[in-house]
Amino acid sequence: MIRVVHTLDNIGRTLVMQVIYTWKIFSMVYLSIRATILDQAQGLRTIVGVLSSQVYFTGFQALPLISILALATGGLLILQAMGNLSLLGGSQIIGPFLVALFVREVAPLLTALVVIARSGTAVASEIGNMRANREIDALESMGINPLSYIVFPRLMGGIISVVCLSFYFIFVGLIGGFFLTQFLHKMPMNFYFDSLLQAFAKDDVFVFLIKNTASGVIIFIISCFQGLSVKRSPHEVPQVTTQAVVKSILYVTIFNLTVSALFYLSRLKELGVL
Amino acid sequence: MSKIEVLSGDQFRLKFENVCFFHEGQDPILKNADFEFPTNQVCWVKSEEGEGKSTLLQLLAALELPRIGDYFINDHSVKEMTFEEFLPIRLKIGYSFDYGGLISNQTLKENLLLPLLYHKILPRKEAFQKVEGMIEKFDFTKFSNERPAHVPGRLRKLTCLLRAMIHDPQLLILDDPFVGLGNETSMKLIHYIQQLRQNGIAQSLFLSTYDEKLVSMLNPEILNIDGGQIYQTVKTTEKSVANL
Repeated sequence: MIRVVHTLDNIGRTLVMQVIYTWKIFSMVYLSIRATILDQAQGLRTIVGVLSSQVYFTGFQALPLISILALATGGLLILQAMGNLSLLGGSQIIGPFLVALFVREVAPLLTALVVIARSGTAVASEIGNMRANREIDALESMGINPLSYIVFPRLMGGIISVVCLSFYFIFVGLIGGFFLTQFLHKMPMNFYFDSLLQAFAKDDVFVFLIKNTASGVIIFIISCFQGLSVKRSPHEVPQVTTQAVVKSILYVTIFNLTVSALFYLSRLKELGVL
Repeated sequence: MSKIEVLSGDQFRLKFENVCFFHEGQDPILKNADFEFPTNQVCWVKSEEGEGKSTLLQLLAALELPRIGDYFINDHSVKEMTFEEFLPIRLKIGYSFDYGGLISNQTLKENLLLPLLYHKILPRKEAFQKVEGMIEKFDFTKFSNERPAHVPGRLRKLTCLLRAMIHDPQLLILDDPFVGLGNETSMKLIHYIQQLRQNGIAQSLFLSTYDEKLVSMLNPEILNIDGGQIYQTVKTTEKSVANL
């Protein structure tokens, strides 16, 4: 019985800590936007400078990796779908199948994972090193708010990058994947693209935008928060970087799952099942 | 009078009320310290190693806030001010760390230009002229377009010190300014500070150092930290001793 109570204690403590952590990171989103609005000195030029370099490092430099991953995932899904759906006599549902699986689920999640691995780690360690090297304190001492100078442009650059990368992932995966699979499994091009276009709906754009925008916010705000949590010593930097990766993956996965669950629940409600 | 108006004057009144400060998991550095800091003069903060000189200077610059008690600048509680409300007074403070503090992805020149251009303290052309003049004066033109990682430690320290003075602050706080500078540069720095003070800049100067010989050239008042309290040591000059 005592063991059960201790287990409940631990679960409760972990939950409370996660709620506090979530509150802190969402406060930081608000505070960084607030600081940027109130910062009279920071010109658009400064923000655009940091934002464009963030888009370059996070978005542009990730294109080769995203291309390979999108081609492989798209190709494999098309191949598997065609093989199995043909056996079941339902190859005409290739479009809805790819939209439901690739566009709504796989693309946002895999893009987010790539961005976490490449850029989340980079941002957390960069800011962590800045903290250890007293660069953040120095900015404050010069009257430059780190939330508007460091956090906001990275957050905005991150959101733009994740949305664009995910769009690119879908484009390359669906089109490149189709041409890649032509060597193994012939499928008429008209049939494939007609099926895809008919499957796309307004809701898919909404799900795409909400999942990718939120992933961008989650990844970059957690990375900035973890980086800023370094106190003095450089030995904390690898620790906070690991935490940034783990927490970003956790939060992005939970968010994606929640959006998907709500989306399908609303679909079931529309169909009158619920 | 609004908070901003009160804070934008050139005179400073710096007062600790019941200030307690400690770093997490460490012994307290200040314990219920009440002190009104002397201003418009040079103050040398002295203490045993690890007694909290750097912390006191950071508290004075409002880079750290008292855990308990309050710090008043011109009768306004620093704890109650937002970043934006504090900004007018922040721009009248120059602070240099004992180590680190340079923005690592910017060159030495860009580091010096940052406060001037960010806050538009000077027009771009004048800011460049001022910074280039300073670089020439301290003779590191050769390294001015290098990033901090690619220059000798002496220049990193010097750039950090000069950046604290570039915007002509009224309150200048220098944490261990002479460490790693070498004699020649230290002397240049002292002369530069004296020159600034003659021109009405850096009227209130707080610094911590172990180099008694160098600091004595600035004829400082002495502030001691001992047992979590701050004391001002009364100066007894050779002349007054002779008179006795």
